[in-house]
Amino acid sequence: MSTQKRTHPLIIAVLSLFSLACLIPFWLVLMISIADEKEVLKHGYSFWPQKFSFVAYQFLAQDAEKILRAYGVSIFVTVIGVVVSLFVTSAMAFSMSRKDFPLRGALSIYILITMLFSGGLLPWYLVYTRFLHVQDTLLALIIPGLIGGFNVIIMRTFFTNSIPPSLIDSAQIDGASEYRTYFSIILPLSLPVMATIGLFITVSYWNDWFTSLVFIQNEKLFSLQYLLNKTLMNASFLQSIANKAYSSTAQVTQPLESIRMAMAMIAIGPLVLVFPFLQKYFVKGLTVGAVKG
Amino acid sequence: MKWLKKGSVILSSLMLTVAMTATGCSSSNNSGNANSLQASSGGDSAAGGLKPYEVVMVFPDAPQKDNELVQNAMNDYLKKTYPDMNVTVKLNPIDWGAWSDKTNLMMASGDKFDTIFTADWLGFQQEVTKGALLPLDDLLAKYGPDIEAVEKDYHDPAKRGGKLYGIHTHQELGGAQGIYLDKALVDKYKFDLSAFKSGKVEELEPMLKTIKENEPGITPLVMPSYPLDAYYSSGTLDQIGNLAALNVKDTAPDDFTVTNMYSTPRFMELAKMTNKWFKAGYLNKDALTPGLDAWKKIQAGQGFALVGDMDILANMEIGSVSKSPNGSLKAGREMLQIPLNVDRLQTGKMTATMQAISKTSKDPERAMMLLNLFFKDKNLLTLFNFGIEGTHYVLKDGQIALPDGKTNNDVGFYHDIMWQIGNQMLNYTRVGEDPNKYQNYEKFNALVSGNPSRIFGFVFDPEPVKNEMITIDNANKAFVDGIKSGQLDPEENLPKLLEKQKAAGADKVIAEAQKQLDAWRAANGK
Repeated sequence: MSTQKRTHPLIIAVLSLFSLACLIPFWLVLMISIADEKEVLKHGYSFWPQKFSFVAYQFLAQDAEKILRAYGVSIFVTVIGVVVSLFVTSAMAFSMSRKDFPLRGALSIYILITMLFSGGLLPWYLVYTRFLHVQDTLLALIIPGLIGGFNVIIMRTFFTNSIPPSLIDSAQIDGASEYRTYFSIILPLSLPVMATIGLFITVSYWNDWFTSLVFIQNEKLFSLQYLLNKTLMNASFLQSIANKAYSSTAQVTQPLESIRMAMAMIAIGPLVLVFPFLQKYFVKGLTVGAVKG
Repeated sequence: MKWLKKGSVILSSLMLTVAMTATGCSSSNNSGNANSLQASSGGDSAAGGLKPYEVVMVFPDAPQKDNELVQNAMNDYLKKTYPDMNVTVKLNPIDWGAWSDKTNLMMASGDKFDTIFTADWLGFQQEVTKGALLPLDDLLAKYGPDIEAVEKDYHDPAKRGGKLYGIHTHQELGGAQGIYLDKALVDKYKFDLSAFKSGKVEELEPMLKTIKENEPGITPLVMPSYPLDAYYSSGTLDQIGNLAALNVKDTAPDDFTVTNMYSTPRFMELAKMTNKWFKAGYLNKDALTPGLDAWKKIQAGQGFALVGDMDILANMEIGSVSKSPNGSLKAGREMLQIPLNVDRLQTGKMTATMQAISKTSKDPERAMMLLNLFFKDKNLLTLFNFGIEGTHYVLKDGQIALPDGKTNNDVGFYHDIMWQIGNQMLNYTRVGEDPNKYQNYEKFNALVSGNPSRIFGFVFDPEPVKNEMITIDNANKAFVDGIKSGQLDPEENLPKLLEKQKAAGADKVIAEAQKQLDAWRAANGK
């Protein structure tokens, strides 16, 4: 009997199916984006179109300025957002993990409440427009996503479980300030959690279109996802009202099927690239509570 | 080292504050906030109307690149032409897809804006209930003479609780429903179209049969835009609620009995016909797929006929055959249209396109003055609809054309929202459209307004039977689309639908509609 551990074939089969389930839709979107529009109209979607055409991408190239700008906005917001958010989240989580922090309990309850109840759309809107006055600026895209209660809890658990209090004590006995402790001792030990939460935050910033919808009026500050979402929503909305508006002057112009798909392909881009670089940190795993396996 | 400690305390407390704001939105600051802000930033509206005032116009439209350019041009024009009004405009278009989210937030948070586009299908009723709109009667009487000149008789449908909340765009007063046919195929088989003089959609059947037998790959009749939908309701009913209606076909003109619209003999007749056509393979089987666009099928050369709303042309007699300009454009081939029914003057149409004035307007008088201008001033209307002459359009034989070398995409200001505001009859037409479009509208309007619905002006208040309406809607979902698309056999399923509706409280809804209608008749002497 060989001692070499072999993966159970069933697991391989299940995982292969799962991977396929992830890849097939992706493939379909890609194929529609490069299919000839007439073919799509005639035969519907297919995995291998009979006729290829790159019209959709050429069409988008005409609109390149708008798309590139939106790309820029999305990247800027994501990068800044992730860095600041990681800092704020970890600072908060670290404070909460410290047994000698007096407001620990109160802060935990505060965080918990935000996870259980949301203020609702209107108060949320009012805080940013009436209190912080950030509408129509990039800040409006960054600030609302800065802290998520769940992320704080995960980080807190990580800090509590993986960083022995005695380590902090000894650092401080050696004369390290709070900041020194945090940056030189804690951070290097917390890379896995940083990478994980970082990925969460990246995804949420990158995919966020709703904040753009609510706060941004200036076309130059539209994020990529909002631009995409807008195209799709406008199309379906116009279609749904075409008859209701009664008016024969209401002409509906539809974006072509392949253009929508091409936009989706473009929007996926960077996120696909981010994942492989962070992957190595996931091997170690994370826990929210209880014992880590 | 001491400064560092102090600094760190400040820094951490600062961060904590930011974090607190970012995580939770404590709701303590919302109530009253809107009011207090409104009061503080408000200031008094000028009594004499002489202080400068900016009217913020909110309307659904894709943002235009040259929005600001056009806005400035409008302001220059307003300043030059109407110096007494001392008014400027701010164009605030909101994307179609974001419309309901954004306007709801704006209204709920008390944002300042003045005019807003509204319609029954965009939540007019809710906006009135919420108190987001101002009653307009007095304003209209004082500052809206040019609106009154064309819309005076058509205000009733937009009244709620006796007060007017919306101003209907002056445009065609109804529509016509009928059949579109691919001209090439009509010519090929030499179909006799004079049969449609009867106004019956049934006459289509032999043609569908011929196409089915001789043209593989072509769906004889493309759906949705179900024949039933497009043709039944307007032709046979005065609709009240989601099922309550007056049957006006073969009933006396003073018959005001509310019935269930799904129980009329005509509905059964048409449902049977659709079902028969479906079984014979005359209809596309994917009619219920969401997002399906029947025109695209015709464009791809996969369809022969389509039942739907017609272009309004000079001759809108029932059964008259003419080339459809709009249909041909949409299908990319020559299409014929044959109207089979012309709308009566209906309450619903009058609330389908309106401008309203927001409760948050600081100077509703000036907003009304501006609205009035759109019913009087062709230049202002043209600026709003087509942009700046020479930059965004040129006039060719009195029609709007794009400047040389420009397309709709790169001209900077191109939209089709003429139907949202003002007096349409003042508008230019676009090249490709019938230059007499608006004369046709006038003629058509005479036709429509000469034939008002029995209950024109009656507005049903669904509040007392709200729950029943929702349950009925759910019951409808299970059957109605299937029946309309011909996929369900009506003999078997229509009774089931009626039974479900009954269980959901259909009788109560009909009784309530009858009660309200009788009260309305008593009040209006009908």
